[in-house]
Amino acid sequence: MALQSLDPRVSRLGIAEDSLSHLVPKGDLDQFETYEAFVQVKENKPFEHAGPVHAPNEEMAFLFAKEQYSRRGMFCIALCVIKTENIRASHFTDNGQDVYDTLDATASGEETESFEIFHLMKRGKQHKYAGNVMARDYDDALVAAKSLYQSAKPVFNIWVVKSEDILATDEDDQDIWDTLKEKQYREAIAYKAQDKIKAFKEEQAAQA
Amino acid sequence: MNTEALKDLLYKIADDQLILGHRNSEWTGFGPLLEEDIAFSSMAQDKVGQSWQLYQMLTELGESDPDTVAFMRNADQFHNCQFVELPNGEYDFSLIRHFLFDTAELIRFTMLADSSYEPLAQLAKKIKGEIKYHKMHADIWIKQLGAATEESIERLQKSLDMAFPYALGIFEPSRMESEIISEGFFSGEEKLKTEWLSKISEILDQTSLTLPDASLQTPVYGGRYGTHTEHLQPLLDEMSEVFKMDPTADW
Amino acid sequence: MYGGGNVFETMKATALADEDPVKLAEFEARIDRGEKIEPTDWMPQLYRKQLIRMIEQHAHSEIIGALPEGTWITRAPGFKRKLALMAKVQDEVGHGQLLYSAAETLGKSREAMLDDLVSGKSKYSNIFNYPAFTWADSCFISWLVDAGAIVNQVANSKGSYGPYCRALERICAEESFHLKYGHHCVIHLATGTKKQREMMQAAVNRWWAPMMHFFGPSDKISVHSEILMRWKVKMASNDACRQQFLDMYVPKIWELGLTIPDEKLRKNPETGEWEFTEPDWEEFKRVINGDGPCNKERLAVRKLAEERGRWVRKALLAPKAKYVTPLA
Repeated sequence: MALQSLDPRVSRLGIAEDSLSHLVPKGDLDQFETYEAFVQVKENKPFEHAGPVHAPNEEMAFLFAKEQYSRRGMFCIALCVIKTENIRASHFTDNGQDVYDTLDATASGEETESFEIFHLMKRGKQHKYAGNVMARDYDDALVAAKSLYQSAKPVFNIWVVKSEDILATDEDDQDIWDTLKEKQYREAIAYKAQDKIKAFKEEQAAQA
Repeated sequence: MNTEALKDLLYKIADDQLILGHRNSEWTGFGPLLEEDIAFSSMAQDKVGQSWQLYQMLTELGESDPDTVAFMRNADQFHNCQFVELPNGEYDFSLIRHFLFDTAELIRFTMLADSSYEPLAQLAKKIKGEIKYHKMHADIWIKQLGAATEESIERLQKSLDMAFPYALGIFEPSRMESEIISEGFFSGEEKLKTEWLSKISEILDQTSLTLPDASLQTPVYGGRYGTHTEHLQPLLDEMSEVFKMDPTADW
Repeated sequence: MYGGGNVFETMKATALADEDPVKLAEFEARIDRGEKIEPTDWMPQLYRKQLIRMIEQHAHSEIIGALPEGTWITRAPGFKRKLALMAKVQDEVGHGQLLYSAAETLGKSREAMLDDLVSGKSKYSNIFNYPAFTWADSCFISWLVDAGAIVNQVANSKGSYGPYCRALERICAEESFHLKYGHHCVIHLATGTKKQREMMQAAVNRWWAPMMHFFGPSDKISVHSEILMRWKVKMASNDACRQQFLDMYVPKIWELGLTIPDEKLRKNPETGEWEFTEPDWEEFKRVINGDGPCNKERLAVRKLAEERGRWVRKALLAPKAKYVTPLA
């Protein structure tokens, strides 16, 4: 007998009624790789970290990140994904200490590769894009970033990524963010019903 | 302007979008991985949203309001191809349908952007991005699964073979095909089909899947003029169960 | 959406004895300063364990919570409702994804969490073990269950763990649409035709008891809960959340001419506190332990989704794929 549910979709799945009596553990875990998604909320605003997705490859990570982090089109004009293992994170500092002040190396000055730098300006908030540096390797990039992007405001954590490890929206595909404007059903503002309540109350009062 | 021919065109596109969007929404919460669950739901919403726009266009042309048109008609009054009403099956079938249908959709709406009926051309331009993303999504999935494991290839091939005659039903010519073309509303199903075949081959060639020979298939026609499988009426009954409790009520 | 009544593990008296006192002091000082803890910071084992458990339960509640409302996804009346319900249920799945990611930063993989969900080892919010009989039930859930969850989530978003706060910030922003949508649906039914009103009232009658259970039984004051509060893991007592919910929503329910099936329910004008019939905590325990009307179905559906998706995931999994913990 298949499980009959109040949900017609579930009834159609044809689940055996005793399906839970023979539970087999999933065994080998099929956990995909991890990618971090970054979104640009509007023009002239820096990319900021939105959150992770799991995906089998970069292309799919991009597809998934788009829907998970930008399905409200108006809050995203561009997106990029970076494989988590390609992001080098510095250690964290706290209590007003700038993580840049804890670095004591000096940049090599050999500029061989392009890196992108992200800053955490407040614990619990998102990492935001700070800028690009040319450097020899990750450590070198960190030091190079210090001279370019350290400011009066302390940074508590830094992410360094090779520019080539970033998959961003293609210029030609920029239009995937152009969707129907008729998506207000996703917005709280579309649901106004005070007039109904008011009319209802007036009617009740009239009857009383 | 030949309004009847225009309505014929709008109805079939709208009904396709509504029924497939509805089918795709059935996956919400049951998808093969969380991220895909989310992505599939967005595409379902896009489709239902597009059908809503098209029904509004029909309302402007004198038809009933969109809710009435969508929720009150019976199966024999629907113009969708049978392909979109088939049950979801497992993910292989849903994906193959998504790929075959949305490839046609992208070409269709690209063509419609040049429609002589300005509101339709405007709409086609507005939703181009959505549909482009749908096709991108389908292509990436088919390329992945169509060249992965023995099981995934076999599943997709089986679904492709089963789906193909139905997919050809998308291009069932209208009774007013020549008027639709001569009025400049749309360049016609035959042209669409030719381009579609080349676009899907382009992707399938990058996989281990084989495209069935279109010339040996009998397309499943009839859907455009009310002939449907046994699956459509139950789908509509389900969709309108609450609405029909009181069609005049404000839900 | 998620309620209180977190099932925290009981703590052994020695739980903190093995922790480095200097690191522990730094950790606590950081929380006292109002700074968030980030994934690679040192943290006591107890903190890590309880957070994983709490965020994991929250995540499970989102994806299981998608099922009772999903019951009506193919039957929503009219385009507006159809689209909105699709988007709302989608958001719940999206919230699950965000929360699993936050829990993962503490060292447990998503797949391991899903495994524990399906095997019954880890719990989810009790309320989703009740069935959504009619469209009005789905409206009740969208409005009031979400409202309850928001009370809880807003409190938790001020907690100490960075990744959880970030996830909750995003989630709370989306919940505002859920709440408004749900309220809109309920208003339409409650002020609508006789049939619609009856439907809505019946749903309120069915869901009130689970709603009162939603926030969990009164917290026992223990050393354990004091530590969790000090570490800003647990942010508000179950009773405080329940009171806040009643205060915000009972008047809104009443103004729609709906009644609440509890004769004792009233706000005591002197104390400012809501009084109500003590919920049946025996039933609450029974349902949590698996004997509710829908527990079996909810898990069977989740299990089937996992099993049917397995060939897909297998086909996608690159042989050399290496799982790493999300960064933030």
